[in-house]
Amino acid sequence: METLMVDRVQNSLRFFMHRNAIFLCERLCAEFPTEINLQLLATCYLQNGKAYCAYQILKGTSMPHSRYLFAMSCFQMNLLQEAEAALCPANEPNVEVPDGAAGHYLLGLIYRYMGRQALAIEHLMQALTLDPLLWAAYDELCVLGAIEEANDYFSDMAAQRIQQQYLSESSSLNSSNGSEFYNLSSNMAVTSVDSIPRQSKQLGNNTREIASLPLSVMIAKVPASNSGSSNFSQYITPPAATQLSGVAPPPLCRNMHVSFNVANNDVSTKLNNIAVQAPRRKVLDEGKLRKVSGRLFSDSVPRRSTRLSAEAIAVASSNRLSAEAIAVASSNATQVIGNGNGHTSTKFLGGFSSSSSSKVNAASSRSLTFRKGHSWISENFDEGRRSEAFDDSRMENMATTSSSTSMSGDSRYLEQGKAIGDLAQDSRLINGAQELLCLLRTLGEGYRLSCSYRCQEALDAYLKLSEKQFNTGWVLSQVGKIHFELVNYFEADHFFDLARRVSPSILESMDIYSTVLYHMKEEMKLSYLAKELLSVDRLSPQAWCALGNCYSLQKDHETALKNFQRAVQLDSRFVYAHTLCGHEYVELEDFENGIKCYQSALQIDQRHYNSWYGLGVVYLRQEKFKFAEHHLHKAYNINPRSSVLMCYLGMTQHALQRNEDALEMIERAISADKQNPLPVYQKAIILVSLECYDEALNELEQLKESAPHESCVYALMGKIYKRFEMHEKAMLCFGLALDLKPPAADVATIKAAMEKLYLPDEMDDTL
Amino acid sequence: MSRVWTRDRRVVTAGGRQAAMATELDGEEETAAAAGKLTGSPQLSVEDDLREMAKNAAWSVSSYKPGNNVLSLRDDNLDTYWQSDGAQPHLVNIQFQKKVKLQLVILYVDFKLDESYTPSKISIRAGDGFHNLKEIKTVELMKPVGWVHISLSGNDPRETFINTFMLQVAILSNHLNGRDTHIRQIKIYGPRPNPVPLQPFHFTSQEFISYSTIR
Repeated sequence: METLMVDRVQNSLRFFMHRNAIFLCERLCAEFPTEINLQLLATCYLQNGKAYCAYQILKGTSMPHSRYLFAMSCFQMNLLQEAEAALCPANEPNVEVPDGAAGHYLLGLIYRYMGRQALAIEHLMQALTLDPLLWAAYDELCVLGAIEEANDYFSDMAAQRIQQQYLSESSSLNSSNGSEFYNLSSNMAVTSVDSIPRQSKQLGNNTREIASLPLSVMIAKVPASNSGSSNFSQYITPPAATQLSGVAPPPLCRNMHVSFNVANNDVSTKLNNIAVQAPRRKVLDEGKLRKVSGRLFSDSVPRRSTRLSAEAIAVASSNRLSAEAIAVASSNATQVIGNGNGHTSTKFLGGFSSSSSSKVNAASSRSLTFRKGHSWISENFDEGRRSEAFDDSRMENMATTSSSTSMSGDSRYLEQGKAIGDLAQDSRLINGAQELLCLLRTLGEGYRLSCSYRCQEALDAYLKLSEKQFNTGWVLSQVGKIHFELVNYFEADHFFDLARRVSPSILESMDIYSTVLYHMKEEMKLSYLAKELLSVDRLSPQAWCALGNCYSLQKDHETALKNFQRAVQLDSRFVYAHTLCGHEYVELEDFENGIKCYQSALQIDQRHYNSWYGLGVVYLRQEKFKFAEHHLHKAYNINPRSSVLMCYLGMTQHALQRNEDALEMIERAISADKQNPLPVYQKAIILVSLECYDEALNELEQLKESAPHESCVYALMGKIYKRFEMHEKAMLCFGLALDLKPPAADVATIKAAMEKLYLPDEMDDTL
Repeated sequence: MSRVWTRDRRVVTAGGRQAAMATELDGEEETAAAAGKLTGSPQLSVEDDLREMAKNAAWSVSSYKPGNNVLSLRDDNLDTYWQSDGAQPHLVNIQFQKKVKLQLVILYVDFKLDESYTPSKISIRAGDGFHNLKEIKTVELMKPVGWVHISLSGNDPRETFINTFMLQVAILSNHLNGRDTHIRQIKIYGPRPNPVPLQPFHFTSQEFISYSTIR
């Protein structure tokens, strides 16, 4: 009944029949309250968005996957401390993070939102090493500013790793019996636990990671009672082997022989043989070890509860184990052993007890066949991964030699066939992995560059994509964002529009699109966008940000603020909503609340330079120039290519009377973006204050060309001519300035200046 | 209840606003209009470069009837009103935290509803505090219905704004010689500050504006 219920629940989950799944699962847990079933129930709840229910039922559980699910529910409920404690228990500092890459990713997120950046970065990197296709971890790392080279993460090494993963996965799925036996054998290998801790320690010495420690801990957990065969300890030495050698095939061959030798007595002799050869094996890469072990752990976790110890089984399957162990030992020894640790053993044992021995024999030989192939392949790929010493051809050779080491007996042919078939599959797998990694590499490069605001290079990176990939919502909106950062609002508009046409329900970067339209003062388009986004998803923060921008454009700052606050309520981790709230408060001259909003934005994402800029502007308005400079500088450090930021920095430095620095910064701003007229204008202002009127006039003449309808240019020119006492020119300029319809305040100032034209320059501080 | 006389639509008030209701024209009213008396308009129309200034100001009144206190002046609700409860002149005091530039005072009054409670003569004073208020404008209203716009600008373009710490709206007399007064809403407008700090002038062209801020 239990398995039937589990099956129905999983089926319901797959077809999104959540109520059915939850109901059945609750019945299941009531009937068979095991931790595995609790995990299933928690999964049902989490999939249905009911994190609080999952939290309730998983409190206090200790299996790795349960802890992962518990941490996930805590994270969704924003209970970050508990989530961290679940994944990294304080009293067990060396315990492996459950569920490998996923666990590390979740932990990275938790640390990020707790503000512990260094730890977050460490765990995210870990996640990426364990699972090179985990784009989300890469995304977070870019946002945190921790990526130096995309190539490191989507390299060919990663391809090998992926292959290994898939192989071990497929192997365990291939035949249930086989997998059981596989587990058993590997488990049996594990039973020779005694020496393994030694091995692991050696490994630990040789490799950089501490991963070996968790491994040894896990291994230690395997009950000693399982090792009914102490003689197995003899062949543990393999992992200690440090040299990659072409010896691999021969031992393998011998293993084969051994494997087919059902007689127990053969075992020990063969073992000794293998033990001799094994030492030449190279120390395994810890990363592989962890990854594979992680994978197998997750497979075997559900069966822990059925752990039994059956010595008979241990003995009977010792041959398998030995052969298995040996084969494994010569290559991935520690890996598989680690994999088989504890859990898998029980899994097998549980299964074993229900089958007859003959069946076991037959199945075991099959599994062995399959295992052989597997271990060959994995061995090959392992060696391939030790890339320094190997090249592909050699790998191929080994594979062929291994496969060609023919064994007498049909089973051997079977094995061979299987091995070759596996090989072909593997080469396809590795090609596929490499292609995917190539794609991810390009995307990663573009994304990383755009996160460090190197916009031109990011654009180049994205252009390398194939057309089909480029014309997708995500890429197009990323390109739009890049143009937005480059202040090319027209281009940005174009790309965002394309993105919306390609995928009409895209929401992700639409808040940036609304800001683009805000800058372009396109009221119609902006309100249309806001309406559309709301109709797609009324509960998305982007839609409310767009609507807020719409009101802000119409100068209705209170309503805009309300909308941005709604966006914050919908998703308090959405940085931009906080920043926009801050902007609106500042427009309403409520500086205190504005500062608070900017600071909450910075708590979520320290690299959101808009918030740093916002804080700088607040302090500028309050005339706290030193504070302003500090904050603007921080923004500038994050985005050193923004000419607007440089311009503001220059203005602040001018206000602090540091005119040389100011002029230098302004020059940088001018060269960063030739189309930005503001730095030139600021330069003119500074020159006027330094009484270098002629140079200022030069700059203003330039501006007349590039921005012919700008009233302030003429107003400033008029002021300069007034200083020169060139009254007609001054009148002309003031007149032109007035013609361009400045707001009332400026009209007043300019008219006042005109009136006073023929009066001597008294304390003319305003003008 | 006497007939309500309001202006003909074509007649323009001193502030340049027109009366919305077209009803009978009375000769006396016309001369009154020509004399520059204000009447209300149903629309609150303010230029784009002005904004409401008194949200963070301290508002106080000389007297009020319980239930109709100063909050009703600022609640954006035209049904609630402030009712004074003392001797004339009735005063509404608005104090700012720092010197601000002001251009426009707008009141909402309704002769049809309030009759003798409707103000007829209003004086606007400005200064640093209660001790040195100086009258800057006086207006007379003629049966106003709607928003009454009172500009604070002088004739000189240099005097578009007044720069002050405090503003006082004094109700000197009411229609039909009423003692107390009703005012339903008051708004104070001044120029918007430059969105770009540290600038002597505002930016007008799209080229400048699009590069002027980061959002």
